[in-house]
Amino acid sequence: MIKNYLKIAWRNIVSNKVYSAINILGLAAGMAVALLIGLWVFNEFSYDKFLPNYKQLYRVDLNFTSQHDGEHTQQAVPIPLVEVLRKEVPGIKRVAETDWVGWQWHDLLVGDKKLYLGGGATHPDFLNIFQYPFVKGNARAALTETYSIVLTESTAKALFGNEDPINKYVRFDNKQNLKVTGVLKDIPKNATLQFSFLTPFSFKEQTESWMKDARTTWTNNSFNEFVELEPGVTSAQIAPKIKNIVYQKSPQLRVAKPEVILHPLADWHLYSDFKNGKEAGGFIDYVRMFSIIGMLVLIIACINFMNLSTARSEKRAREVGVRKAIGSQRKDLIFQFLTESILITFIAFLFSILFTQLALPFFNELISSSISIPYGNPLFWCMMICYVLITGLLAGSRPAFYLSSFNPVTVLKGAIQVGKAAALPRKILVVLQFSCSIALIISTIIVYQQIQYAKSRPTGYNADRLMMTDMSGDLETHYAALKNDLLASGMVESVASASSPITNVYSHMSLDKWPGKNPGDESVNIGAISVSDTYLKTLGMSLVEGHDFSSSWSADTNNVIVNEAVIKRIGFKNPINKIIDYSMGNKRRIIGVVKDALMESPFFPVQPAIFNHGRGGNNIMYRLAKNVNTQDAIQKITKIFNTYNPAYPYIYQFVDEEYNHKFNLEMLVGKLAGVFAGLAIFISCLGLFGLAAYVAEQRTKEIGIRKVLGASISQVWLLLSKDFILLVIISCVIASPIALYFLRNWLQKYDYRITIGPGVFVLSAIVAIVITLITISFQAIKAALMNPVKSLRSE
Amino acid sequence: MLSLQHVSKYYQAGGNKNIVLNDISLEIDEGEFISIMGPSGSGKSTLLNVIGMLDEPSEGYHYFVGNAVHQLKEKQRSALYKQYIGFVFQAYHLIDELTVYENIETPLIYQDFKGAERKAMVADMLDRFQIVGKKDLFPAQLSGGQQQLVGIARALIAKPKLLLADEPTGNLNSKQGMEIMELFRKLNKEDGVTIIQVTHSEKNAEYGSRIINLLDGKVDSSRKF
Repeated sequence: MIKNYLKIAWRNIVSNKVYSAINILGLAAGMAVALLIGLWVFNEFSYDKFLPNYKQLYRVDLNFTSQHDGEHTQQAVPIPLVEVLRKEVPGIKRVAETDWVGWQWHDLLVGDKKLYLGGGATHPDFLNIFQYPFVKGNARAALTETYSIVLTESTAKALFGNEDPINKYVRFDNKQNLKVTGVLKDIPKNATLQFSFLTPFSFKEQTESWMKDARTTWTNNSFNEFVELEPGVTSAQIAPKIKNIVYQKSPQLRVAKPEVILHPLADWHLYSDFKNGKEAGGFIDYVRMFSIIGMLVLIIACINFMNLSTARSEKRAREVGVRKAIGSQRKDLIFQFLTESILITFIAFLFSILFTQLALPFFNELISSSISIPYGNPLFWCMMICYVLITGLLAGSRPAFYLSSFNPVTVLKGAIQVGKAAALPRKILVVLQFSCSIALIISTIIVYQQIQYAKSRPTGYNADRLMMTDMSGDLETHYAALKNDLLASGMVESVASASSPITNVYSHMSLDKWPGKNPGDESVNIGAISVSDTYLKTLGMSLVEGHDFSSSWSADTNNVIVNEAVIKRIGFKNPINKIIDYSMGNKRRIIGVVKDALMESPFFPVQPAIFNHGRGGNNIMYRLAKNVNTQDAIQKITKIFNTYNPAYPYIYQFVDEEYNHKFNLEMLVGKLAGVFAGLAIFISCLGLFGLAAYVAEQRTKEIGIRKVLGASISQVWLLLSKDFILLVIISCVIASPIALYFLRNWLQKYDYRITIGPGVFVLSAIVAIVITLITISFQAIKAALMNPVKSLRSE
Repeated sequence: MLSLQHVSKYYQAGGNKNIVLNDISLEIDEGEFISIMGPSGSGKSTLLNVIGMLDEPSEGYHYFVGNAVHQLKEKQRSALYKQYIGFVFQAYHLIDELTVYENIETPLIYQDFKGAERKAMVADMLDRFQIVGKKDLFPAQLSGGQQQLVGIARALIAKPKLLLADEPTGNLNSKQGMEIMELFRKLNKEDGVTIIQVTHSEKNAEYGSRIINLLDGKVDSSRKF
């Protein structure tokens, strides 16, 4: 019986080529979108789960409460906490203190190969907690010696080529030699912690002077800590035991009500946001959003199938009648039509695999991931079989139940136009389809508007031709000479150094006292940046009042410049020459107020920041001279940097590019929404094209008569188009408030956001109507141009 | 074999009751060959559809080989229908996408015959109707007479006791029509198939053993030969 059904289904597909092509192509596109999103979602959920014991692993976080900001959660914790967790809390199997793994950039030198890479310093247990597979060496022995290093496979390869790196030495920051004691397999892309090498934490403690007291200082919240719980122990059991450790041990921090909490590894990637000290979503919101969009696109494609099948049901009605008259029961027919739709879905699925394969490189580039179709995975194929069956049933159910319901006597008489009877549900489906598409168009526009709005926000500094380089190796000692050479080369017009790059604030301090402070006012958390005297000039920041630092840093030891946000936050009047007290009793005089510069998120208000005059720093910023060729300039600058810092590769960033990275997430959302909106509207139009063809065919006689009676081509065109346009307008009316609701919620995340005006909705409506008109006009004009004599004769 | 008692069929059209069949009572025995005649709109086809269970009467009792059809559920009715009745249409109503062979085979599929059995039965039928050479053609490639032959072959494939034919020769020329009528007579005489046909042609009607004349939904006259 199935053979018979498949045969007739196949012959139907072949004999109606255009219709089948529309159906299969539309369904394939929808399935490809859903498949792509499915793979992406799967990839997002797979983060960090390659680690065998991931369920028992946690990061230690701290909650602090302040009047101004409420409760906030930070990953930075003090080192003494680690000893308490290790020794005093039963149920915790291992603890590892680390610095910011992946974010510590160091110079690795072997022979003439120099690499500047991100890694971290970790307690040896880090490798027992996170059981990354070793290529060489093992977790027990690696990192136990102070002067040792663990490399990833590709780092080892880059430094040592094909030689065995074990027990060979890497020169680290051109200062120490570290013995390679292990090589890890490269960290998979779906890992939150990404690093190229690890050094022992004891090495950091011995070689970095500021670490001297860190092991005993509870107020130095500068480190990350990770724990592994004993098997069977849950975080709920541990939570009450650790909650108050910092509060009890550190009287100084008590005012901020510190609470120690555990953040499970499984949640790092998707649930990274905290609100009021508790997990509050994160990227999972976008994963959910795009899962819904994927399903919507698939449903849109299925609606095409339903619509075209029921519209064309007149052609199949007779077959239904005959089959019923020769003994078929309704369930046989339902079964037949479902078989048919599953066959079509299967063909569409094959195409969708092809489409997905073709789209994956672009998709991966778009969202910088490395997703692939797991062809070798039997589970994948099982899921795909279910996918085809479910999609086939979804798409085929309506035609199957509708077609099988025909009364044989009436359809065989040909008395009723069955296609027309299904017009209302069909219209509802079209409206549903277009509502989804239009909502997606609106979302895309709003997301881009928001990005554009934030991008066009004044940054308070000038990023044109502004470059930056980490102050690494010998650069700090040779800074003055470097600066002179750079300026002398004529390639650079100005040079400055600072403790943070302009696109970030590395250090925060607490502003404790200021004139006019009320006893009840709490301290203010302010960004603290140590800068050279040329900083404001180089970056193009302007003073609102007061004056800049002098050229002698020793004369400025007690002077600071604050930004406007500080003044606003503490409600200062006439701030110049006022003495403030920040960071443990250091009294400083305000000599200038600088305009707010956007150093952190472009979506939030500028945070208070304080600048002091200091030497050295972490970053060199320099602006290329006007009218120099960038390529030439970089060549010359490279030489200068290499003379003063021979052990390190010269690495530079353009500030405007760095600044644009702040929009990565929003750009990703915008791009994805745009792509899916495009596909949704394409699939919808494909269906509309088929429907228009059907309607034109059905009304051939009517059009003939109207033309004989004197209707012009444009009148016929209008006649055929207006029904569809009406549906699209209804869709706009439905889509707009829904999109408005969701987008308002999305925008709530940003302090600095657009207000949604009516223009977007009008624009989206116009776009949708124009696209619809183009789609259906082909059929409408074709029908209108037909010779009426011909169409009437065929009756 | 079957009996209709006080069967009526009407439609509600606007405020008016449109009566198609008006209190018809009819007894038909096994082995009869009945021709139903009457002007257009007299209810011939409706009567045939009611007998064939494709249509339900609005009122009345309907018995078929000992079953009270008016009390049966859709499923049981369908089973009864599959087992006993074959239908032949004026417009042949073959399935365009299926070949001659497959068209004839289809009713057997619905009656769950095994593949080998189906093959034998269809081969036998093709042979009997002398259309073996056309088994792989599609309906569109056949003449009207040939199509109707296939239609009849399909109606007979499951060996029904009752053959219902709605103007089987209506779309055929007189020679083709005569051949079909000869075939019907043979089926009736040699195989004992009960036949009820609707026809406009006096000549074709005379092949039957009884003629029932309908007028305005009522039995006007009935004569046996």
